Amino acid sequence: MDWDWTFTFDVVLPKMWAAAGVTVWATVASFALALVGGLILMLLKTHRSAWVSRPATELIEVIRATPLLVQIFFLFFLLPEIGITLPPLTTGILAIGLYNSALCAEVYRAGFQAVPRGQWEACIALNMSTYRTYRDVIIPQSLPPIIPALGNYLVAIFKETPLLSFVAVAEIMQVSKLIGAEYYRFTEAITIAGLFFLIMSLIAALLIRIVENYVKRSILH
Amino acid sequence: MTQPMIRFDKVLKAYGSLQVLKDLDFSVDKGEVVSIIGPSGSGKTTVLRVLMTLEGIQDGTIYVNEDPLNRMLVDGQLMDASRAHIRRIRSKIGMVFQSFNLFPHMTALQNCIESPIYTQGKSKSEATDEAMRLLNMVGLADKANHYPSQLSGGQQQRVAIARTLAMHPEVLLFDEPTSALDPEMVGEVLEVIRDLAESGNYTMLLVTHQMGFAREVSDRVCFFDGGRMVEQGKPDDLFGNPQNARLKQFLSKVLEAG
Amino acid sequence: MNRIAVVSALIAFLVGVSVATFSEVRMFLPAILKGAVVTVQVSVLSIALFLFMSVISGIGRSHGNTAIRWISTVYIEVFRGTSLLVILFWMFFVMPEFGVTLSPLFAGVLAIGLNFGAYGAEVVRGAISAVPRGQTEATIALNMSAYRRMTRIILPQAIAIMIPGMSNLTIELIKATALVSAVTLVDITYAAVQQNQLHYRTVEIFTITLLLYYCLAQFVRFGGEALEDNYTRHLRRRG
Repeated sequence: MDWDWTFTFDVVLPKMWAAAGVTVWATVASFALALVGGLILMLLKTHRSAWVSRPATELIEVIRATPLLVQIFFLFFLLPEIGITLPPLTTGILAIGLYNSALCAEVYRAGFQAVPRGQWEACIALNMSTYRTYRDVIIPQSLPPIIPALGNYLVAIFKETPLLSFVAVAEIMQVSKLIGAEYYRFTEAITIAGLFFLIMSLIAALLIRIVENYVKRSILH
Repeated sequence: MTQPMIRFDKVLKAYGSLQVLKDLDFSVDKGEVVSIIGPSGSGKTTVLRVLMTLEGIQDGTIYVNEDPLNRMLVDGQLMDASRAHIRRIRSKIGMVFQSFNLFPHMTALQNCIESPIYTQGKSKSEATDEAMRLLNMVGLADKANHYPSQLSGGQQQRVAIARTLAMHPEVLLFDEPTSALDPEMVGEVLEVIRDLAESGNYTMLLVTHQMGFAREVSDRVCFFDGGRMVEQGKPDDLFGNPQNARLKQFLSKVLEAG
Repeated sequence: MNRIAVVSALIAFLVGVSVATFSEVRMFLPAILKGAVVTVQVSVLSIALFLFMSVISGIGRSHGNTAIRWISTVYIEVFRGTSLLVILFWMFFVMPEFGVTLSPLFAGVLAIGLNFGAYGAEVVRGAISAVPRGQTEATIALNMSAYRRMTRIILPQAIAIMIPGMSNLTIELIKATALVSAVTLVDITYAAVQQNQLHYRTVEIFTITLLLYYCLAQFVRFGGEALEDNYTRHLRRRG
């Protein structure tokens, strides 16, 4: 079996290029959703009232303990049945976003937990408003451990986008499968897909480290 | 004149640019009990650690019974020692640590038979008999089936001593054996060490802050400072009539605190 | 412990009620349970490979000679950086083009085991380095060989430390088995989608599917806690 370079350049790369855009968009959108959703879920989980916190905790548990793929299918089949028609990509982004919200909620919680008790107490003693407390004291101090953890989830989300191929979204994995089925050659397409993910995740790891250092320097001096 | 049991020949030990042992010449005769005292950072613990091959040295040679430890003779030439060679020479040396380092997932008895069985090839019954004899000797025969977490600090250290003795070494190294113990447990451990010293069966090197004890059991006391052995002599001479200025300073500080 | 009991009771109750009231459940439940057998099969085999790869590459990366260290590092970095689905497709679609045809089960187990083994290697490595240095020094003082040191003293203590990390990875692994539905293995996920195309009872089918995976996860968590208790028994003081 030999590697066909003309095939690679004429067929594989052009098709993958368009798909790469879908992959990147799916990653970014899901990540944004996860960032916001995670915060909301965390606030729900740590709510004073048990009526809110218990169900929220169980929901997070179920989402974390079950496969993302099943959740994608669930949403994909369920939404049309209750009258909501969305393009597969959107459904996929919702599913991935929701799944990672549950994971990010834990990151936020741990980040806030890590801020020493004394900081909260100082804010009370100084009669600071809740808004100011969070904005000026708590959040800046909780960011250094949170940023790398969230960055890791960005990379993880990126590697979860191939699951969208199961619901026929034209991202990288789906396209490489289609190329394989159409031209009866899987090697080039799938290897390129693999290299794409590998290189992107290495770049992402580097970017995360840069952001981490920037945050550390600018916030904590 | 019989050859010394341990001999340090121009030993240099450095961590990067920090020299911890400087051009050290030092020897211990067979059966001798030597105490090493000195301020922190003087290199006294390092002497034990390089002898036990826990750390390497940058220059010089260490001899155990005139066998080079960190080097070996190959066709009359001194070369860096192979691992097998180091293990062979190392088998004569045993060490008791300040933090005991007992294996937490094994009982006292299991701690004592582990190496005799797997390193020295003894049978389980042979090793167990010997271990029980030693545990009895240190007064802990009834704790043989206890885990370290169920023993006090003093008891753990005594088990550690029994474990070391089970290997039948010729040289015993004690690295501040009582420094990590609560005061009321120091005595039981010192008693065991004293018995070993008085038996005359072992060459012993003892790094300690227990000056009174050092004076009592040692044949010779060495004072280390700044990586060199600055003064040595019989206990009564060294403690009673110290010559070196640093030693006088050290002793006055230690004895007034003690 | 309490939680497991409550959750299992709840699940049993729900399943019982739904079976009793919705006879339609009997339409698709058997198929999904058959899928569960496949899921468990794939999981068990993958876990075995995962544990094996974690231990040897974890130890290899920190204690091996230069060649072993290099091989372990390459393995770990490549398999951690690549998406599992890509690896799976590579095993199933690309390998045949190199002349090696793997059965779906073999491809699935290989892909999952190798992928998770790379993550596990880091957990193992971290656990080994968390064993106090004094333990290593004691084994040197007792003149133990490097092999005995690792197998009798360091590794047993490292196991207790690595259990939480490894059991989390195991739960992730079980979830990942859902991907083998892409290479024609009829696991829970495949069965669920198939049954849904047939009967269109989306909510019931997928609720039960999610519940099944949830149970498997709790099972692993419970096992992990029991294992951890066993390995840290020696640390509990008596009285």
